[in-house]
Amino acid sequence: MALPILNRRHLVAGLGLAPFAIRSVEGAAAQGAEIPLGFVIPFTGATGPYGPDMKKAADLATKTINDAGGILGGRKLKLFIEDEETSATASVTATRKLLEVDRVEMVGGFWGSPPALAAKPLIVGANKVQMVSAAAPAITEGDTKNLVYRFQAKSTQWGPAGAKILKDLGVKKVAVLAQQNPFIVAMVEPFKAEMAKRDGTVTDVVMYNPDQASYRAEVQKAFGPEPEAVFVLALLTDMVAIAKEIYRGGFRSKVLALGTGADADGAFLKSVSPEVAEGIHHLQPAPPLNSISYKKFVKSMGAPDGTVFLFAGNMYDQVCVTALAMEHAKSTEALVWAKSIRAVCNPPGDEADDIAVALERVRLGHDINYIGAGATCDFNDQGDQLNRSFLHQVIEGGKNRIIDVVS
Amino acid sequence: MIGQLLLNGTVSGLLLALPALAVSLTFGILKFPNFAVGGSLTLGAYAGWVFNTQLGFQIVGASLLAAATVALVSVLLDVAVFGRLREQGSIALMVASMGVSLILENLCRFVFGNATRSLDVDVARPLRWAGLRISHEQIVTAAAVLGCLVLLHLVLRTTPLGRAMRAVADNPTLAAARGIEREVIVRLTWAIIGLLTGLAGVLAAIDRAVEPLVGWSYQIPVFAAAILGGLGSPLGAVLGALAVGLSEELATLVVPTSYRQAVSFAVILLLLLVRSQGLLGARAVRK
Amino acid sequence: MTAYLVTILVIVAIATLVGLALNFQWGCAGLVNFGVAGFVALGAYATALLTPVVGWFAAMLAAAALSALLSVFLALLSIRLADDYLAIVTLGFGEAVRLVLLNEGWLTGGALGIAGIPRPFASLIAPEHADFALLGFAVALVGIVYIILEALVRSPFGRVLRALRDDPVVAASLAKPVLILRIKAFAVGGAVMGLAGAMHAFYMTYIDPSQFTAITTSYAFMAVIAGGRGSNTGLMIGAGTIMLLLEGTRFLKDLIPALDGAQIAALRLGGVGVGIVLLLLLRPQGLLREPQRKAASLLADPERADAADPSLPASHPQEI
Repeated sequence: MALPILNRRHLVAGLGLAPFAIRSVEGAAAQGAEIPLGFVIPFTGATGPYGPDMKKAADLATKTINDAGGILGGRKLKLFIEDEETSATASVTATRKLLEVDRVEMVGGFWGSPPALAAKPLIVGANKVQMVSAAAPAITEGDTKNLVYRFQAKSTQWGPAGAKILKDLGVKKVAVLAQQNPFIVAMVEPFKAEMAKRDGTVTDVVMYNPDQASYRAEVQKAFGPEPEAVFVLALLTDMVAIAKEIYRGGFRSKVLALGTGADADGAFLKSVSPEVAEGIHHLQPAPPLNSISYKKFVKSMGAPDGTVFLFAGNMYDQVCVTALAMEHAKSTEALVWAKSIRAVCNPPGDEADDIAVALERVRLGHDINYIGAGATCDFNDQGDQLNRSFLHQVIEGGKNRIIDVVS
Repeated sequence: MIGQLLLNGTVSGLLLALPALAVSLTFGILKFPNFAVGGSLTLGAYAGWVFNTQLGFQIVGASLLAAATVALVSVLLDVAVFGRLREQGSIALMVASMGVSLILENLCRFVFGNATRSLDVDVARPLRWAGLRISHEQIVTAAAVLGCLVLLHLVLRTTPLGRAMRAVADNPTLAAARGIEREVIVRLTWAIIGLLTGLAGVLAAIDRAVEPLVGWSYQIPVFAAAILGGLGSPLGAVLGALAVGLSEELATLVVPTSYRQAVSFAVILLLLLVRSQGLLGARAVRK
Repeated sequence: MTAYLVTILVIVAIATLVGLALNFQWGCAGLVNFGVAGFVALGAYATALLTPVVGWFAAMLAAAALSALLSVFLALLSIRLADDYLAIVTLGFGEAVRLVLLNEGWLTGGALGIAGIPRPFASLIAPEHADFALLGFAVALVGIVYIILEALVRSPFGRVLRALRDDPVVAASLAKPVLILRIKAFAVGGAVMGLAGAMHAFYMTYIDPSQFTAITTSYAFMAVIAGGRGSNTGLMIGAGTIMLLLEGTRFLKDLIPALDGAQIAALRLGGVGVGIVLLLLLRPQGLLREPQRKAASLLADPERADAADPSLPASHPQEI
């Protein structure tokens, strides 16, 4: 048990330094043909549940592109993926490692807003591209040097969409039950404003903190007064607990939730029984559901038809857009190909939703307009996506049913 | 309204009671604050899930098997880790338990992934009685926890094992002098702790969900409850847990819900100021 | 690669500051602080809010002062409690800070935090060298704090604290003067934690509540133990050790063929736990010079069986 020769400091030093040494050697050799891309994706912490599908989608896109011959004369893409840990500090060290050691030209992923915000100055300062799937408006504000791109609807868009849906459902008075989370908090005020515009009222805003042992008290507070409806802004794990509490408490108010909680790429329905989920409405940014490419994407992800992928689709697009832009600019240098992003994503151009086909077209010098798996991928000058419409669904009989698309 | 809060608070408190008891026992008999309780709860939840949904046991059987699993793991951990560190002092044990918590949580994450899962338990509409909503889960939780508490009380008070455990807690050297084999008692104590946390893990899973962070979120309230009750006093831990549960629910009457956890700490502080040894703890010299 | 190493070293420096504070409060004065993350957060937020207004130096002083003040307040609160109930008071404090940071958005920015924190000497340094400069600043700060704390530990103040930590009977008979000394010691530790928070804010330039959670407190305790408790020099190695585990495992995972993302993450964090446990287990027998602290002394128990001889921290370097 006790090793007299090897005291614990030696042991740890050895354990810790060996990988560094290996990587330094590796790093020098590997730069030749492969193009390194970095991703910071959550696998642990409160947003952990979303990570695995995001990685899967990024891997899928990479494989598709590499199998189709790669880009820039046969060079293959190589992904480096780090854990966001739902923490800004972890995001900083992860981003530094990706930038300095793996020498990536872009850092994508970024589910959470704090990790995205913390990493932004590092990435932009290094003149690389940052692609996020986070919703805080601050990410695309300020001087981004044209290097920051958001593959997600801003928080400020989700709220009004919710208000519209409630109006359509005939609800005038609604309470809000929301998590103290940067993604969600920024939705509340725009929601209230839109409700007011439509002659509706928000009767109460009940906030809860992440990682609580129980949400019973908050559900009691929001649902107890028996409002017409409650707008529940939650992520997956708390949505599961809250949905059960609502059912167990016998509360009858209508529930409109976010897709991040009540769908989560189909995970919600796997986590609760059909009775508990029955009747829950939810909204999330709509991917191009009818495109053949999207349907192929869903199939390749191993999911049943009709699954709505939100964050995973965004990852797929981040990889594809990077590849297309690099091919278009004929360069892997971030400052150069960043300029090509809008060229390949925005109209005018031939609409292309299959990445292999799109790459071919770009090589032949055609103008294209990439339609992604997560969205139509059109960007404005600040790097935000245009045309994000929202999908309104309701859960019936253990399945999601599409009601309509709201923009 | 208040009645409903009292009911909810009592059940929340009962949920905390078992892990708080475990922490109290660890402290009283094993002499260190056990930060592995979070990881053990998670392990219990997942064990319950495996027995229930994968191997088809009914929930009662699954909970017992889950409890047994965590008991086994706890004993193994004592053999591998805690037992070897016993001479190194409580701080080493405390930090080791932090490491163990990380290991248990991530073991579950490694094997089962991050997805949120549920046990195969029927969710039902609540019973209505005297204006209160009483959910089936609340009844089951209350029954399970109270049953456990009664059993444990009987063990501690009437059986030779219980007497031996109390002897070791009060005075290990004297206990050894009287022939009580410390090692055996310690292993059995770990087993009991494992049983308690395993069962609590399943109850937590019924209440919330099965996911890697389920135990972690209980860690702070559990410690608060154990310390409030007076570390080393099992009954105190239960009372402490009830106090924490009740104050967290009743707090919603006076403060915004997002601060209710702070209120429970304020209540704890007040209670400790009134009774500085904890609700039932025995304190002597204060420095 | 150097920029990455600079990042790591800055974080180790910040962790060292926290460790030095914890070592003083706990190693020297025997005071258990489970709210470490809360004090660091206070320092960081104070710095973030005040630097644009009064400049970085004044902001740092304010951060230290605020942390010290709240430390005094908490210590006073727990005066009536059996001594080590400070643990629960600090635990509650940590939680309260977290809740306030999350919910009082008008002050703290809430869940979104505060961005754009200016760094010391920012206008004088070229952007390429910004991180190096900050590392230099951090190292200097660590050096100054180390010297001050070492001096304190060897001073009469420190000797009395250590004597009192190990002999409760004497302590009880002295009553009031003891309490005041304890409060002072707690405040000193608090001030250093505030400074650590300030460094954190300067380094990250963006802070949010997720950066100051309970795991931070755990890592701090792990760092102190890994280094060999009681030794300030050892603690720097301890902080470095934790960092090595956290960051080294990033590279280890790159060597492992494609596993599910969550599995890789689990291996990594689980690996940190394994690392800590191994460290504790493989500790060579008999090289411990610091006093054996049992749970008894951690959380007040009248039977302080064999309080071993208090070693003079750091004057006897351990296991180097």
